[in-house]
Amino acid sequence: MSYQEKRSIVSIVTGLIILLAYFVYTYTKYQAGVVSEGDLKFWAGAMLLFIAIGVIATIIIQILFHILLSISIAIQAKAKDEKCDDKEIEKEIELEMVSDEMDKLIELKSNVVGFGVAGVGFVFGLIALVMDYSVAVMLNIVFASFSIGSILEGITQLYFYRKGINHG
Amino acid sequence: MAKKIIITNEIRKLRFFANEMTQQQLAEKVGASRQTIISIEAGKYSPSLELAFKIAEAFNVKISEVFDYEVKGDL
Repeated sequence: MSYQEKRSIVSIVTGLIILLAYFVYTYTKYQAGVVSEGDLKFWAGAMLLFIAIGVIATIIIQILFHILLSISIAIQAKAKDEKCDDKEIEKEIELEMVSDEMDKLIELKSNVVGFGVAGVGFVFGLIALVMDYSVAVMLNIVFASFSIGSILEGITQLYFYRKGINHG
Repeated sequence: MAKKIIITNEIRKLRFFANEMTQQQLAEKVGASRQTIISIEAGKYSPSLELAFKIAEAFNVKISEVFDYEVKGDL
């Protein structure tokens, strides 16, 4: 499995954990009767909190992922050739993490999926408002669609790395 | 039925005749990732003209000796 595939998987798993944590957090509060649908301050606060957690968690997980990957490359390089020095290992790590035109094309195409899902979610949120659902429902639909869009973006990347991609 | 152009390549063969050059070595020469070379070789990705020329240059051959195309479907 390539570096790019592993990175996509890490991104998908992070997104899933954040989304799941958000729903567990809000659902338990809602079920316990601590908050109501009309408590917009709570919903907005919870969303902001989980956006912040998501950003921080993504940064930390990506750093940890790169450290672990670098260690595994170094171990593999040493196992192959015991005499290889730090410069050679550094070069191998750089080569493994290089990003090129195919990565950019995959990123562009997967971004389309992510933004598409977020856009559709926003429209569904507006429809929910028109259908007299509460603002909290609309906010949750929008939040979920952005999160699911991000997860689907990762899945699309993984798909293109596995199945290949063409211009156009 | 719409016609479909399939890009084929001889990279694997050319690598073999270039002192069994590895995918990693080729990737390094052309400034791409190994994943991209693997995908091109397997016909899963058609490179840009720039990268295609770089690959041809890495083997010191013309681009037409590395890449070719097949037309599938009705013209």
